[in-house]
Parts: sequence; C-alpha cells; structure tokens
Amino acid sequence: MNFQASSEQELLRTTVASIAQSFGHRYFVDQAATGGKATELWDALAEAGFCGVNLPLPFGGGGGMAELAIVAEETAAAGCPLLMFLVSPAICGEVIARFGTEEQQRRWLPGLGSGSSKMAFAITEPDAGSNSHRVATVATRRGDGWSLSGTKYYISGIDEADHVLVVTSTGTDPLTGRGQLTLFVVPTNAPGLSFTPISVGIVATEKQFTVTFDDVALSDDHRIGPEGGALRPLFMGLNPERIISAATLIGLGRYALAKAADYAKTREVWGVPIGSHQGLSHPLAKAAIDVELAALMTAKAAWQFDEGLDPAEASNMAKLAAADAALVAIDQAMQTHGGNGMATDYGLITVWGMARLLKVAPVSREMVLNYIATHTLGLPRSY
Amino acid sequence: MNVVVCVKQIPDPAAPQSLEPSTNTLDRSGKLILDDSDAYGVEMALQLVDKAGSGEVTLVSMAPNGEVAGLRTALAMGAAKAILVSDDALKGTDALGTAKVLAAAIKRTEFDLVLAATESSDGYTGTVPVQIAELLGLPSITFAKSVTIDGSTVKVDRQTEAGYDEVTAPLPAVVTVTAGVVEPRYPSFKGIMAAKSKPVDQVTAADLGFSAGDVGAAGSGQTIFAVADAEARSAGEIVVDEGDGAQRIVSFLEGLKVI
Ligand SMILES: Cc1cc2nc3c(=O)[nH]c(=O)nc-3n(C[C@H](O)[C@H](O)[C@H](O)COP(=O)(O)OP(=O)(O)OC[C@H]3O[C@@H](n4cnc5c(N)ncnc54)[C@H](O)[C@@H]3O)c2cc1C
Repeated sequence: MNFQASSEQELLRTTVASIAQSFGHRYFVDQAATGGKATELWDALAEAGFCGVNLPLPFGGGGGMAELAIVAEETAAAGCPLLMFLVSPAICGEVIARFGTEEQQRRWLPGLGSGSSKMAFAITEPDAGSNSHRVATVATRRGDGWSLSGTKYYISGIDEADHVLVVTSTGTDPLTGRGQLTLFVVPTNAPGLSFTPISVGIVATEKQFTVTFDDVALSDDHRIGPEGGALRPLFMGLNPERIISAATLIGLGRYALAKAADYAKTREVWGVPIGSHQGLSHPLAKAAIDVELAALMTAKAAWQFDEGLDPAEASNMAKLAAADAALVAIDQAMQTHGGNGMATDYGLITVWGMARLLKVAPVSREMVLNYIATHTLGLPRSY
Repeated sequence: MNVVVCVKQIPDPAAPQSLEPSTNTLDRSGKLILDDSDAYGVEMALQLVDKAGSGEVTLVSMAPNGEVAGLRTALAMGAAKAILVSDDALKGTDALGTAKVLAAAIKRTEFDLVLAATESSDGYTGTVPVQIAELLGLPSITFAKSVTIDGSTVKVDRQTEAGYDEVTAPLPAVVTVTAGVVEPRYPSFKGIMAAKSKPVDQVTAADLGFSAGDVGAAGSGQTIFAVADAEARSAGEIVVDEGDGAQRIVSFLEGLKVI
C-alpha cells in the first residue's frame, strides 16, 4: 500500500492550483453573479491540457481518474468549483472512451480531452430523478436513425456545451416493466432541441436548464453502446461522476478550513485570537480530519477505477463522506467568522450552495446509503 | 541554438524558513522547488530555441540530496535535459564556489547562450552569473528585459534606473534576465507526463574535477559570523487628503525615484 503521490501528480497539483488561484473565488463569484461562465479559467486549464487528463493519451489525456480528481480538487480549493468536470470529462468522456466505437471516440473525445468542447449529461427528468428506470424521454426508430422526444431538467451547462449525452428509453422490459435505456450524443444545436434556464439559488458558473427534445432526428452513429443497453455504461460512468464530485467537495472543504484557520489566527474578541478557544479550534480540527478521511476514500475510489477494479462502493462512500465533511467544514468556517460568515465578501456563504447541491446530486445521500445497506451490508432493499 | 539555463532549487518561499545554527546559512535540507525567478530564464530559453527552429534547452543546477523536483518543473515546461550537481562535499559552498561548479557543469554541454536569473530568491547575492561568465571567459549582460538573437549576436535591452540600454554581445554569452523578460508558461499535462523520462545527469564535485577543499565550506572564502533580525517595518505614513493629497503622493513617489 502506497500513499505517496507521484512526482507528476505533485506537479499537476501545484500547477492547477497556481492557475486556479490566479483567478480565485472573487472571479468565480463575479462570473456567477453576472451570468458569465468560467470561460477564462476553463480555457487557461484547457490550454495546459488539464481539462481531460483522464481520457486516453491519443485524445489529449494520458492520466486517469486520480489525475482528474486532482484537477477538480485544486480548482475547487481555489474557490472555483466547476460542475463541468463532473459532467464532461468524467461521465461523458469515460462513457464514450469505454463504450463508443472507434469512430465515435475520434469524433468526440479530442474535444473533451483538450477541453475545447464540452458535453453536458442529461438523465434527470421531472418523474425520474433517483429512479432512472422511469426515464420517459423516448427514442424511436425512424428509418435508419432515431427520433428523440421528451423533457429533461436540471441539466447543467448545456448552454456552454456542444453536445449532450442523453439517457433515453427505447422500450420496456416485458418482465420487469422497467424502461430499456439507450444513450445518445445529441448536438446542442440539433433542430427540435431547446432549453430554458431554471432559477437555482447556488453560486455556480454553470446554469441549469429544462431541456426539451421535440422530435430530434439523429443518425444511428449517435447511439453509444447497444440499444437498450445503457445500464452498464451508466453504472460505469456514474462512478467517475461520484469520484469527481467527492474531489470537488474535498477542495471546497480545504478552501473553507484554510479561510477559517486564517481568520481564527488573527481575529481577537477577548484579547487573544479566537482560534485559541477550543470551542472553535476543536470543531475545525474535527472537520479537517473528516475532510482528510474523505480525501483518502476518494483517492482509493480513483485508484480502483484506474486499476480496472470495481470502484462502486468506494465511490459512493467517498461521495457521501466528502459531502458531509465539506458541509460541516463550511458551516464551521462560517461559525468561526461570526457575522462575517454571512457576508459574500468573505467567500464562505458563496461556496455553501455548491457543497449543499453535491449532497443531493449527482446521487443523493439517501441513495448512497441505500446502496451501501444492500451491497455492503446485504440488507434487504427498501424499494 | 542550444541554451543552457542555470536554475536554482530553493526551499518553498511560502513555507517557514530556518537557518542552520552552525553555518548561519539557509536550511536547504527539506523539499526544494524551482525558484520562481528561474522560470523566466527557462521560458526565455524555450522561446529562443523555438524561434531558432532547432536546438534544445539544457538545465544546470546545483542542489543537495539529489533534488530534482524543481528540475522536473522546468523539464515539464519544455527543457530537454538537465545536469544536476549534487554532493555532500558541496555543503556550505559560497557564491564563487557555486559559480565554479556551475561553470564546470556548463562546460560539459554544447551551448550558444547561458541564461540565469538576475538573482536567486533565497540567496540574493546576484553575483553567480557574472562569475560564471568570467570563469568561462564569456561576455555577460545583466538585467535583460528583452533578449533576441541576430545571427551570432545576442541583443539585450538592459533595464536601468533611467530606462534601458541596448547592449549586444557575440555568442556565446551569459545573460541574466529579469522577471519582466517574458511570461513563463505553466507546465502542460503533456509536459508533466514527459518530464519523468527526460534525462537528468547527476554528477558529483569529483566528476567535475574538484577535490575536497576546492568547494564546500572548506573552499568557501566567505564566513557568516552573525545574523540579526531585519528591522521591523515601521508604520507607513497616512496621508489625510486636505486638497493636497495627490501632490503629496507624487512627491512621495518622486522621493522613491519611481516617477
Ligand atoms: C444544481 C443542480 C444541477 C444538476 N445537474 C444535473 C445534470 O447536469 N444532469 C442531470 O441529469 N441531472 C442534474 N441534476 C439533477 C440531480 O441529479 C437530481 O436532482 C438528483 O439525482 C435527485 O433527483 P430528484 O431531484 O429527482 O430527487 P428525487 O428522486 O425526487 O428524490 C427526492 C428525495 O427523496 C429521496 N429518495 C428517493 N428515493 C429514495 C429511496 N428509495 N430511499 C430513501 N430516500 C429516497 C432522495 O434521496 C431525495 O432526498 C442537477 C440538480 C441540481 C439541483
């Protein structure tokens, strides 16, 4: 067992950190507030080749999930958590790299690997959130190709993406009555595809959208994997999404704890720095332990993924642990700041929403616990 | 066009530092990183080689404990290879001794130009590059804010207090660059992954022809007898604007000779 990062990973970490810090949380908040995107930050990271480090070498990557986790963590630790890392290189990139044909890989992966192109991911529907068997966006055969119709919602960043990977239903399993799911890559400018923003109260540079597919015509080479066979690619692809969510949360936890420690060292209320009161220092110390523990589980999950082992249990555990740890860290950092914890200038309340979101999405805390209860503990399913 | 860049690996300036009590020199036994000041030389060298269309950038560094972390950063930026001089016998070497070691290492390479930073961020003597030039018998130009190559001549805009001088020298030459010379690139992921397989030739003082007593504390002409804390910074002057605020700031800046 080896806990030592490689020299490449260390250099990747310090380089991503310096690029992200040169933008910083202020940039992030300003872009989010004005409806701007994190384009300059994304482009700077893309220019150095960091946006798709996990993808295969010929497509501009050459690292693995461990490396993408470093990129996501350090960007978030600089106060710039980007949902696009979860979606574009992690889930969409890995699904296409593992289940796309060679031709599909050549078509879409160079853009995702270099970061010059982004791909959104659309699974959630008003009646199919935690239960993706109920997906009602249908794809029907039309000549040699397909026609897609239906509605997705809460789709992040589709306005900044060239494509969206869509989970559709192409039939019903006669035995189980569950939808047979099929994946398609849809160009965001396809006729019949439209989207409208959903007002979400978190500070993020990606916006969320309701996406409508109204008889969107696609040739069959847009289908990823077999017809009705989306479950395997989905189960594979959701692991990287969880790992990168966890990495982002760890970055946010570290960001909040660093701010709290700085503040607690200098702020004096009774003639000594408030950090000398154990009522403040111990909760922060505990939060630091929990963030570090979650980071270890995230590293384990990423390592398992990169080694071709099943990372599902570790990815789920890491995602839940990281969300809980980050939220406690941010909350305690806010407490440490007193009233200033509520001021947007102090940059804590402005990361809370993102961490809070990642307790619900991409997989909710309850669904993780369901998974661990049945798979790890062998308890009966509750649903 | 082959360019050698002298790069120093220094303790992280953001981390707390300490002096070795016996020698009063900076404790360099921990992890070292690339001196930020040297990123400019590396970038300048990469651009010059790129423009010339052929040749490569070679790094030369002297550091304790076989440290390569800083070299890997510069290799990840695009340098082709490195020579690292690392030897316990070099502990306590002063600026002139360092110049002798680096000059001997540089002689092992084929080069048209040697670049270095104006001064290091942890030693600040600013004397090593010109000493190297003297030891190699080469012309040297310091404080470059721009460097171009014209045939077998290097043209430098040399920063001065008043403005800049245009200076030329025949190649090969030694040039020290300021932080204004170029904007260093970030190492790319490709560069980071490639850096590990780039050659780092690690040599000892003996490999370079030095014997005990030539270098290290014994060969050092410099002894630090005592160290004192820097004077605490006094509080700044607060200018209350009574209509003359702008004028008082202008006089202040004039006093500093910055305008
Ligand atoms: C800001 C934001 C960005 C998003 N980005 C995307 C995106 O890019 N692409 C995308 O496809 N989706 C996206 N989503 C959607 C997100 O993935 C879903 O909201 C999430 O999966 C939960 O689904 P739901 O909202 O339908 O909740 P529901 O499934 O309705 O669940 C509601 C509550 O019930 C609980 N629950 C459900 N079933 C069980 C059970 N069996 N046992 C115990 N508790 C249960 C859940 O845990 C949850 O607490 C985003 C959401 C937000 C808010």
